[in-house]
Amino acid sequence: MSQQNSYRNLTKEQIKILREQGCSAQDWSLVKVADGFNPTRVRNAQFFGCVHLGRFTGNIKTDGGFEKPSGIYNATIADCKIGNDVRIYNIGVHIANYDISPGACIENVGTMATQRRALFGNGVKVSVLNEAGGREVILFDELSAQFAYLMCMHRYRAGLIKKLVEIARNEAEKVRADRGKVGPAAQISSTPQIIDVNVGAHAVINAVASLVNGTVLSSAEAKTIVDSNVVAKDFIIAEAASVTGAAHLKKIFVGQGCQIGKQFSAENSLFFSNCEAFNGEACSIFAGPYTVTHHKSTLLIACLFSFYNAGSGTNQSNHMYKLGPVHEGKLERGTKAGSFSYMMWPCRVGPFSIILGKHTRIFDTSDFPFTHLEAAPNGKCLMIPGLYLATAGTLRDGAKWPSRDRRKGAKKRDIISFDIFSPYTVGKMMKACSVLKNLQDNTEKSVEEVSINGAQMKRVLLRTSQKFYRTAIEMYLLEKVLARSKKALDGGIKKIPETFASDADAAYSPDWVDIAGQLMPKQRLLNIAAAIESGKIDNLSAFSNELDKIHQAIHKDEWLWVKNTYREFFNRDLESLTKDELIQAAESYQKTRTNFLKQVLADAEKDFDKLSRTGFGQDGSTEDRDEDFHQVRGQYNANKFVKEVCDNIEAVERWVNEYKEKIATIL
Amino acid sequence: MDIEQRVKKAVARQLKIDEHEIKPESDFVKDLGAESIQSIELIAVFEEEFDIEMDEQVALAVKTVGDAVNFIKKAMQEQGKL
Repeated sequence: MSQQNSYRNLTKEQIKILREQGCSAQDWSLVKVADGFNPTRVRNAQFFGCVHLGRFTGNIKTDGGFEKPSGIYNATIADCKIGNDVRIYNIGVHIANYDISPGACIENVGTMATQRRALFGNGVKVSVLNEAGGREVILFDELSAQFAYLMCMHRYRAGLIKKLVEIARNEAEKVRADRGKVGPAAQISSTPQIIDVNVGAHAVINAVASLVNGTVLSSAEAKTIVDSNVVAKDFIIAEAASVTGAAHLKKIFVGQGCQIGKQFSAENSLFFSNCEAFNGEACSIFAGPYTVTHHKSTLLIACLFSFYNAGSGTNQSNHMYKLGPVHEGKLERGTKAGSFSYMMWPCRVGPFSIILGKHTRIFDTSDFPFTHLEAAPNGKCLMIPGLYLATAGTLRDGAKWPSRDRRKGAKKRDIISFDIFSPYTVGKMMKACSVLKNLQDNTEKSVEEVSINGAQMKRVLLRTSQKFYRTAIEMYLLEKVLARSKKALDGGIKKIPETFASDADAAYSPDWVDIAGQLMPKQRLLNIAAAIESGKIDNLSAFSNELDKIHQAIHKDEWLWVKNTYREFFNRDLESLTKDELIQAAESYQKTRTNFLKQVLADAEKDFDKLSRTGFGQDGSTEDRDEDFHQVRGQYNANKFVKEVCDNIEAVERWVNEYKEKIATIL
Repeated sequence: MDIEQRVKKAVARQLKIDEHEIKPESDFVKDLGAESIQSIELIAVFEEEFDIEMDEQVALAVKTVGDAVNFIKKAMQEQGKL
């Protein structure tokens, strides 16, 4: 803005015109204007301190489809730089200490001011997970889910935390200024109070109640919207997010593509990419990517989430009337909580599990993914590991998350691994199988229930759950092995061992970790933590680059994990497989995968059975009930998801046949 | 005890109902009130009781006690347990 214009003093004639139009200045010599300045578009304006004014020759396009003239009308302006073709209209109190970029529009605002050495939400310490403190995450504009996760969760590495705090503080200091910024083409209207807030390009801030100490990041391709009676203090709202509907936020990070509204209130919480939060309340939560809470009476408190879906009335307790609100929960990715489910922290739940009922006992099922967790009448947790492996919901989730990524623009801060079946979940299944087998071998048949880390499990299901897990492990490993082999064969490789070669720079760990949405071998995490501690990584850019590199290598790392796990699971080296064994593997994969998809279909079919038709056909006969159901819900065979799964079964068959043919001709 | 009696005993124990209420034509869901989780448990109980492997997907399609008896008999024959 200021770089584009050269400014000069007002001419006597211009001052005369301005005075005639109701303008005044504390000192006209401190009011500088750009070449081509049009004084007729400045009316009833009072200037204090040093003010720079751009050309006011163009118009501002409105959403209503008409144009309004740029200029300054009915406003008090103090120490501001105002770019070309900005429109400022009806400012109740004043705009002070702002640089306003070209094309911005500010209408019907009360006070908009920046105080000395403002940080615009940067540097705010957010008490995540533990309300009483100890896991504070420092806000800054470029905060990613991964950076926040390490800062919050890895407090056991004091050296790492010290360095991360330094990086975060340096990032925060970068924005410290005595003047706020309003980006090009930003629109701010009908808002009584904006104090110490930076507003990004093309952001829309409309009818907001109060914004204090924050930043609204925004860009032309990723507009951010803050609307309708929102109150926000100590915050950063990232690109393509929307905060609307009288949401109340204090000490909050709202990540890219998030949607918060319908009177949602949140304090001391972080929401990363594509979270949705409506109606309910959040307190001290770390909401990793795709955390969703839509309903009233839902309180999410003191917990780590990602890909989470909260049912209505979901609630947790972090307070036991002893030393304060100090207990924490960890719900790993893909967890769902049924309506009115309750959990008493501390608890830890493995990925893609479903929580039902009121749990008043502490348990840890983190190594048991896809588990049914139901509260018994006495509050104990009854678990069925692996029950949700072959369900329609799990399969649909896997497809819907990538398609619902609302982040726009080139810069996506959070790294997200979407795969449901990965070394992270399959590795947990391997561990779970071992625990379940051990229990099965060492428990008398007279025992009705066994205890696993505080949760109860029917002894008779120990074998069933192993079966669930082993089927999924086999399906995953065979799928990866066959895909790898097919790709190599397509690429011209003609010897079996070569098709299974791994990359020299791949990293291996038996355990993988989920760093707020990004999956990686544990060794990669240890390496990056060590690099930060040693000072090798000492700034945000280096940190982000390293995480990008790890993400780029995920398929190499995954393949190395698959190779090692195949040996462990099948007790066989991949390189030693014969042509016939590969054909057998393909047939086995087809059978397992088809069986899995048929189970998914059976699960989906339940939504069309007679029980599901209960309540349909109001005032009619049984035939009317069925017709009403079909009119509203459609037919099972015509359902889009069902059709896709059926197609998938056929595609598996085609793929396996092609593979077998290829193997027969090439090897 | 024959297979039908053993099935009835196992069902009664698992669903916590009187064995005499269980008839061959009893539908697990409609008549005996089995929920989907209990159906999974029943399959596990049958597997243990008769030392057989059952395909959950196929077994879950079995609706009545009589059908379950036939299903188990067939599985036992196929797996050399009868």
